[in-house]
Amino acid sequence: MYEELKSSTVHTPATLAEYGEIINRFPDAINYAGGTYLVARPDFYPSDDNKVIIDLSNIAELQRITRTDRFVEVGAMVSASQLIDAGRLVLPSILLEALSSIGSTIVCRQITIGGALCIPDNRLSLSTALAVLDAIAEIKIFMKNGKSVTRWIPVSRLYDKEGKLVNFEGRILLTHIRIGLEVGNYQKFLFAGDPFRDGSEAVILAFHAERSSNTLGKVQMCINFPRMAFFLSKEIIGQISGLTLPIPPSMIMIVTGKLRAEILNTNPNIGELPLVRALRMFESVLHDLNTLYLQS
Amino acid sequence: MTLDCFIDGKGLSLPVNSNKPLLQILTEDVGNRSLNSNCHGSGCGNCIVLVNDIAMLSCMVPAFRLKDANIQTYDGFSKTRQCRDIERAYQATGNMPCPNCYASRTLLIESILQGLTGEHHTGKEISMPGNMHSQIIGDIENIDEEQIGKELSLVTCRCMDIGELVQIVKMALSIRRRKNVRRA
Repeated sequence: MYEELKSSTVHTPATLAEYGEIINRFPDAINYAGGTYLVARPDFYPSDDNKVIIDLSNIAELQRITRTDRFVEVGAMVSASQLIDAGRLVLPSILLEALSSIGSTIVCRQITIGGALCIPDNRLSLSTALAVLDAIAEIKIFMKNGKSVTRWIPVSRLYDKEGKLVNFEGRILLTHIRIGLEVGNYQKFLFAGDPFRDGSEAVILAFHAERSSNTLGKVQMCINFPRMAFFLSKEIIGQISGLTLPIPPSMIMIVTGKLRAEILNTNPNIGELPLVRALRMFESVLHDLNTLYLQS
Repeated sequence: MTLDCFIDGKGLSLPVNSNKPLLQILTEDVGNRSLNSNCHGSGCGNCIVLVNDIAMLSCMVPAFRLKDANIQTYDGFSKTRQCRDIERAYQATGNMPCPNCYASRTLLIESILQGLTGEHHTGKEISMPGNMHSQIIGDIENIDEEQIGKELSLVTCRCMDIGELVQIVKMALSIRRRKNVRRA
C-alpha cells in the first residue's frame, strides 16, 4: 500500500556541524528524535510532501548526561528511561516523578528529553517539572547565512500561554537541558488523566518551595493543561510566597478563587473537569503544607 | 529504501518507504496476522513486537530505524520455550488475555520477565535512543507490583484487570526461574 509514493530522504548526521550543513540545504526538514509524537501524526505516513527527515539518533553530543556540583546537563537525545536510571540519586524528586508519570518503560525508552519538550502543541509532564525547577535549555539557532548562534533560555519561556512552542527566527535545535541541583525542600508533582490519550482533560501540577519553620520561600508553580494552557502565574506565586504556615482555610479559598479567575482569564475554553481538577490539586498542595507544618 | 532485517528468524530484504512504520511493514509487506492495532500511534499497546529482544510499539518505529534489526513478532515468539513459560502461567492462574490482545500481552509479559530475571538481550542494538533494559531484579515476594502494573497498563484492552496480570507475571517468573535453575 502507498508504495508508489516517493520515499522520504533520511539524513543521519553524526555531529552538530553536519546537522547544520543539512538543515541549511533542507530548511524544511523534520527533526526526528524519539518519534513518539511524529510517527503518531496522520501525515507522517503516508505523506504527500515527502519532507526530508533528519534522524538525530547518531549525534553523540546529544546523548550525554554530565553532572557538576551545581547542575546536571542532559543531552536532548537522552531518553526518559536513561534519565530515570542515571539520575535516580541526584535528580530532584519532582523531575523523577514527572519522568515516571510518562508511562511504561517501553514508552519511556523511546521518548527523548528534547523531543518531549519540542512537541509543538501538547505539553507533557516533563515541561511542567522543568519549568518549576527553573531549568534552562540550550538552543542552537541555525541562520540562513550558514552560521549558528547558541542561546540559553529558561524552559518556561519556550512556550506561550496556551502551551504552544514559541516560534524562533531561523531553524532551532534544542541541544541540552541544564537542571540546577539546589532545590527547595518541598516538591509536589500531581497529575490527573493521560496527557497522551486525553490531552484536553488531563491536568498536571508541579509545585516547588523552600519551607523553613513557618514560612514559604522560593515558590514556583506550574499548572499544565496539555492541549489548552501552560499556566505560570507570578501573581498567584507572589501571594503564596508571603503566606505564613499554617494557611487558614479562608485564605486557601481566597487564593483558589483567584487562581480559578486567572486560569479562565488565560484560556476561557478550559473545560469544567480539568479546571476543577487543577483547583483541587492546588488546594491539596496547600493542605499538605499545613499538615507537614502541624506534624513538625 | 530497501530494508534488510530479520523477521521471526527469516532474513528479508523489503522495498519500503523510509518512513513507513514497522506495524504497517509487518501487516502489509510481511502478512503478519498477530498484530491487531488500529490506533495509528495513539498508544493502544496492541502492536508490541521485540526488536533486538527489546519490546517496542511497532506503530512508533519507522523503517529507517530498523536497518539489520532482528524483529520478533508473536508468530515467531509463540514457537519458543520462553512462550511456553507464559502459556503455562496462563493455565496455572486460570486467566488468559482475549484474542485481541493475547499476542501483545504475551510479548509485554516476556519483556517484564526479562527485566525481572536480568536476562540480557543479544544481537545488534537498534539505533534508538535509550535502548537499555530497566533491571528490576528481585525476589518474587518483593517485586514492585506497582511498577509491573504500570508496565502492564500499556495494553489498554480491558479484558483483564491488573491484579490478574500481576499474578500471571509472578507465576511465569517462578516457572522461568525453576527452569533456569534446572538448566544451571
